[in-house]
Amino acid sequence: MASSIILPILQIVVIVGLSPLVKGFINKMEARLQCRRGASLFQPYYNLVKLLQKDAVVSETASWIFRATPYVTFVSILLIALLVPVLSSQVPLNFIGDIILIIYLFALGRFFLALSSLDTGSAFGGMGGSREMAISSMAEPAMMLSIFTVSLTVGSTNLSNITSTLLNYKSLNPSLFLAFTSLVIVIIAETGRIPVDNPFTHLELTMIHEGMILEFSGRYLALIEWASSMKLLLLLTILVNTFLPWGIATDLTFPGLIISFALYLVKIGFFAFAIVILESSFAKVRLFRIPNLLGTSFILSVLAIISFYVVS
Amino acid sequence: MVEHLFVISIILFASGSLFALCFYGWQRLGNYISLILAAIASCFSIALSVAVLFNGSVIRFDFLIYHAIIKYNFLLDPLSSYFVLAISVIGFIASIYSLGYTRLYVNKRDTRFLGFTYNLFLLSMLLVVTANNALVFMIVWEFMTLISFFLVIFEHENPSNRKAGFVYIVMAHISSVFLTVAFFIMHTYAGSFSFDDFRHISAQIPEIYKNIVFFLVIVGFGIKAGIFPLHLWLPLAHPAAPSNVSMVMSGVMIKTAIYGFIRFYFEFLTPCPPWWGFIILTVGASSAILGILYALMEHDIKTLLAYSSVENIGIILMGIGLSMIFKSYNLMALSSLAMIAGLYHLINHAVFKCLLFGCAGNIYYSTHTKNIEELGGLIKRLQVTAPLFLVGALSISAIPPLNGFMSEWLIFQSILNGFSLPLALVKITTSICGAILALAGALAATCFIKAFGISFLALPRSEHAKRAKEVPVIMLVSMGFLASLCVFMGLFPAKIMMTINQVNTHLLGTNIISAITTYDWLQTKSVHTNFTELSPKSASVFGLILLAVTFGVLTILRPGFTKKIYETWTCGISPEPRFGYTATAFTKPFKVIFSNLYRPRREISATYAVPKYFVKSITYIGEITPIFEKYFYNPISGYVLNISNKVRWVHTGSIHVYLAYIFITLIFLIIFIK
Repeated sequence: MASSIILPILQIVVIVGLSPLVKGFINKMEARLQCRRGASLFQPYYNLVKLLQKDAVVSETASWIFRATPYVTFVSILLIALLVPVLSSQVPLNFIGDIILIIYLFALGRFFLALSSLDTGSAFGGMGGSREMAISSMAEPAMMLSIFTVSLTVGSTNLSNITSTLLNYKSLNPSLFLAFTSLVIVIIAETGRIPVDNPFTHLELTMIHEGMILEFSGRYLALIEWASSMKLLLLLTILVNTFLPWGIATDLTFPGLIISFALYLVKIGFFAFAIVILESSFAKVRLFRIPNLLGTSFILSVLAIISFYVVS
Repeated sequence: MVEHLFVISIILFASGSLFALCFYGWQRLGNYISLILAAIASCFSIALSVAVLFNGSVIRFDFLIYHAIIKYNFLLDPLSSYFVLAISVIGFIASIYSLGYTRLYVNKRDTRFLGFTYNLFLLSMLLVVTANNALVFMIVWEFMTLISFFLVIFEHENPSNRKAGFVYIVMAHISSVFLTVAFFIMHTYAGSFSFDDFRHISAQIPEIYKNIVFFLVIVGFGIKAGIFPLHLWLPLAHPAAPSNVSMVMSGVMIKTAIYGFIRFYFEFLTPCPPWWGFIILTVGASSAILGILYALMEHDIKTLLAYSSVENIGIILMGIGLSMIFKSYNLMALSSLAMIAGLYHLINHAVFKCLLFGCAGNIYYSTHTKNIEELGGLIKRLQVTAPLFLVGALSISAIPPLNGFMSEWLIFQSILNGFSLPLALVKITTSICGAILALAGALAATCFIKAFGISFLALPRSEHAKRAKEVPVIMLVSMGFLASLCVFMGLFPAKIMMTINQVNTHLLGTNIISAITTYDWLQTKSVHTNFTELSPKSASVFGLILLAVTFGVLTILRPGFTKKIYETWTCGISPEPRFGYTATAFTKPFKVIFSNLYRPRREISATYAVPKYFVKSITYIGEITPIFEKYFYNPISGYVLNISNKVRWVHTGSIHVYLAYIFITLIFLIIFIK
């Protein structure tokens, strides 16, 4: 009983607390690869604190949609944090829903962000919203098919079951590799990293995600920034705990959780570093080249599902 | 007792239509009376359908008019009652809504005719889904088509509406031809037109004729349902009709075709080969994706909604097709699950499409335009319509916790269950259909972000939009009821699934309700499949808790949070409506990505002042090529016109020649037919 109260709180705390650090880590490592010293590892926390202390400026054109969006986005991501196995493969609240619910909860946040991008009546917001929707729509089929592959391998769409089954999965399954590769491309597109979107850009015409949130300030911006770094961490967590679940705690003992947490940090760090390498070695591709990239991801996921059915 | 409800609602609908005609002098009064009668009649048929669904009994009605020529047989089994329920709920709400909406027409044009046809339209749909005899079915089917044709051309002074009506009536009659042939083939084996006999003859029909009937039914009902590429009439006719009628047409009329599919494939022609279901599934998936792709490019809000109906019919057919596949492999529990998913989406679509058409009607009522490029900023002017439209948009985009998500989730679960099918090709295609559904869902979200964002947000782009005022309360109340239905059906899926399970127990002989529902921690029913469980209720409860915590923490951290209101920064000049994104701009990336399908055409011409550096005006024309019209329908209609031209010499216009034709035909018949 205690576990069903402690563990969800622990999950939220880890995701909420750790997500700015992941962002800071990526920024720091990228700076290092470019032979710069870079900002502090904790800079994203300072930014959030600063933003939370400020008042917000709201456009007089904007409506209640604009003011509701930060909360909707933040809370929908928090809810996802309850459903994803982070430290233990057993998620006490897994009866709430499965991975398909998670995908559609991401869609809920995106829906409101895209609406509020149109709300202020500026030209850049709509540009960001329109591009974000185009990219995420293109990513959706590949994402769904790779999730199908994993779910069918395990026989469940519930993330708890997926993690605990794959933990004891002995054979090497080619379809899982293909699904993994496809999902990596999708996650890069969904979280707006290079080569799909450049999170550091300050040129309005190249912005996608940043263009959508251009009009937000103060607390609103803090919530949205935090939500987007949580989204990155959550997607990495899903990737890590689905395909590399080794070492994750299966019962709720203190030492088990500590080991699990340490391994989790290592794995997330590894993937964050992979993103750093990727971002440092590629340039952002042109907007209308992105469908090709996502098409590749889709083909990989189709191959994954085909090989699943042919092998099994 | 229950039998009487059916008769009462028929009588009420009929008297509603007659009352509308009676009040010549007081149009407003006649209009109200007829609409209120329609609403009351709908209440009676709601009671009727609920009674039949939960008693699980079957009720027959035989009206013997014109002895022995046609037996007017009607039958209410759970399947019919499910459709009666959808029709009468939507009919009830549309009637209440019409009380406000028809003020647009009172004393401006003949509302007597509107009330007359509107009542008969609801009545005809009620009869279509209860008819138990092929002849009766064709009569009421044709009646429904004609009545709805008159409603489509209600505003007939507009040439585009007349064209829409023409296309509709032609397509509808092609559909009738196919259905008539299908019924005649069934008749040859059954020996009568009664559906009761149709149910027992499946084994006697040779395989080849069964396949022919299968294709005849796909085309016949497919035209009415609006599946690709037979959807041609739908995006023309639905926007042409008055909004209160489009609600009913899009919400439930096209679903009578789904009813036809289920009757034929699950009762008359059963057991069907697996490839039938496979065809229905792929037809559904292609309708879903093409429907939403064309909806994305539409800037007329009602046409956009009509194309989105094509998409949703596709999703419903995916559920039905999966159910057929599972059934033909004798996986009855899975067949039942897929049927629940399909029928769940059917009622969901009826509710949210009716809501969206109603809100589109509100927009038209207050701005007199349907073009979203001319709107904008309505959220400040139509303050109640805006959240209602938003609920509809969220539901149709399958955003949790609203109802559209629940049914799409169930369809995903059915698709995942495709792994238990024996054939690898079928399994792979089923999964790819799942990917298509995911893409269609994401595109639907984009499409409705566009529809809501461009028409309700930013600054008004025209004088109409600037002067918009909120519509009468009665219209808002009826739409509010639908919006709360959207929420209710999303949060309490077990209730709806239990209702559909009643249909399944009768239709498929399965009862899987205890297998697919379970009690969650709130001690209320949540959904459970062999893959996972889902409780939208607890998701919402936890979402609200997290919202309260977030809000609380932020308030404690900094109680004096203030907002400064200031105009949008537009590089130093004051903001104008034309700075904002338009619908064309918003969907431009999709136009480029899918340019192979859309084949966009763009013309820009500028006129210059005397020195060539100053542009006086720029004209921009951008349009997409409607490939189905261009490469499929236009050649066919050209061919038909050509043949008609060649044979027109037989029409001389002389009555003597016509008499001679009749005489020759008569002799011909006497000789050859004994």
